[in-house]
Amino acid sequence: MKVPLNIDWQQILLHLLNFTILFAALYFFLYKPVKDFMEKREAGYKKQHDDAEQALADAEKTKAEYEEKIAGAEEEIAAMKTEAGTKNAEERARVIEQAKAEAVTIVEAAKKRGELEHDKIIAEAQREIADIVTTATEKIVLSADVSKSYDEFLKSAEGNAKNE
Amino acid sequence: MSKKKSIVTFAIFLVIIIALYVGILLLGKPAPRAETLGETMKDAVLHETMKVDLFGFMEVNPGLISAFTVTGVLTLFAIFCRIFVIPRFKEIPGKFQMILESLVGIFRGLAKSNSPEKNQVLSAYIFTAGVYIFVGTIFELFGVQVITTSGSPVSLPAPLSDINGAIAMGGLSYLFILGGGIVNNGWHGILGTLKEFSLPLSMSFRLFGALLSGALVTELVYYSMSLSFVLPVIVGVLFTLLHALIQAYVLTLLVSIFYGEVSEKKLEKPRRFRKEKKNSNNTITPEVSK
Repeated sequence: MKVPLNIDWQQILLHLLNFTILFAALYFFLYKPVKDFMEKREAGYKKQHDDAEQALADAEKTKAEYEEKIAGAEEEIAAMKTEAGTKNAEERARVIEQAKAEAVTIVEAAKKRGELEHDKIIAEAQREIADIVTTATEKIVLSADVSKSYDEFLKSAEGNAKNE
Repeated sequence: MSKKKSIVTFAIFLVIIIALYVGILLLGKPAPRAETLGETMKDAVLHETMKVDLFGFMEVNPGLISAFTVTGVLTLFAIFCRIFVIPRFKEIPGKFQMILESLVGIFRGLAKSNSPEKNQVLSAYIFTAGVYIFVGTIFELFGVQVITTSGSPVSLPAPLSDINGAIAMGGLSYLFILGGGIVNNGWHGILGTLKEFSLPLSMSFRLFGALLSGALVTELVYYSMSLSFVLPVIVGVLFTLLHALIQAYVLTLLVSIFYGEVSEKKLEKPRRFRKEKKNSNNTITPEVSK
């Protein structure tokens, strides 16, 4: 069959065969090895990049953690300080209160004791006076000498006073 | 050398060249051509008389011999690279490695940018096609001579200036696009490719026309002796280089664009939308009937 433009199917097929051979040769000997090499290198660089990114992210995370920890510690310290402050004040107040109370009791006790002593002294003095009076009276009564008795009485009173 | 001296030297050269040119034109009675310009041009297009014997198997156009030669040269080059160059590739590329890598990189980038979803096979195909077209067109410049069956010598043309080669390339590219459509998209891919039914024709004849025109213009210029001094450098070398670059780029670009188009996944939105509408109608009707 005569095709216009002298198109020859057999030669077209030969051209196709030629191109197929060329495709196979270029693909296996040139394209694929070069592509594989480029991809390998790209993957290597990508891995390096990813690793660096990962390391950076880890470092950032650790840093954030530490910062958080430091902030927490600062807060804790502040809390402790305020707590200690309030505790101190409380303690002081309590101690003062206690001291005051103690002072009051001490004063009370001292007062009481003073009163008791006072009473005791007075009572003793009264008793002694009574004793003196009794002895003097006895003596006077027994000697029946009034002037003597007066003297006796005064003497004994003097003596008592000296003894006191 | 002073400026004056160099001007004098240049003038001397110019005078010699002009004298020789005039002399040749005056003396030259070129040997009568075996065929007229019309015959030569017609044969460059139709290849009716200039046939080359292919291993005693059949008579073929010289373009096919060019194609085989180009394939042979490229295969040898690839094997050479595979054995001697690629095993010594380094992380930081040298000059030759840089050339090979950017060659592969250009076609991979072209494939990726035009067909983002599937481009592994595509980039290999356009790599081969681009290299074949470029080297095949450059091959014309070497002017390798073969003897035709009629006994006269013919310089091998670009493989794709032979219409059979151009049809093979264009048709194969179309089939490749069709194959990509079928593999990646099934029936949608086939329809998407068949929609572009003029593509094989346009691709084949673009190659054929572009490369043949180069050959014809060169033939035309060489036919007349007075034109064959400085002009061939421009029309022969520059045109051929431009053709080589442009045609390699255009075909690979077209193949990647159409491949990307037919292999891209189509969204089946309209059908689902209709279904939902139907369902919502069904749910409403019972409530209305109540």
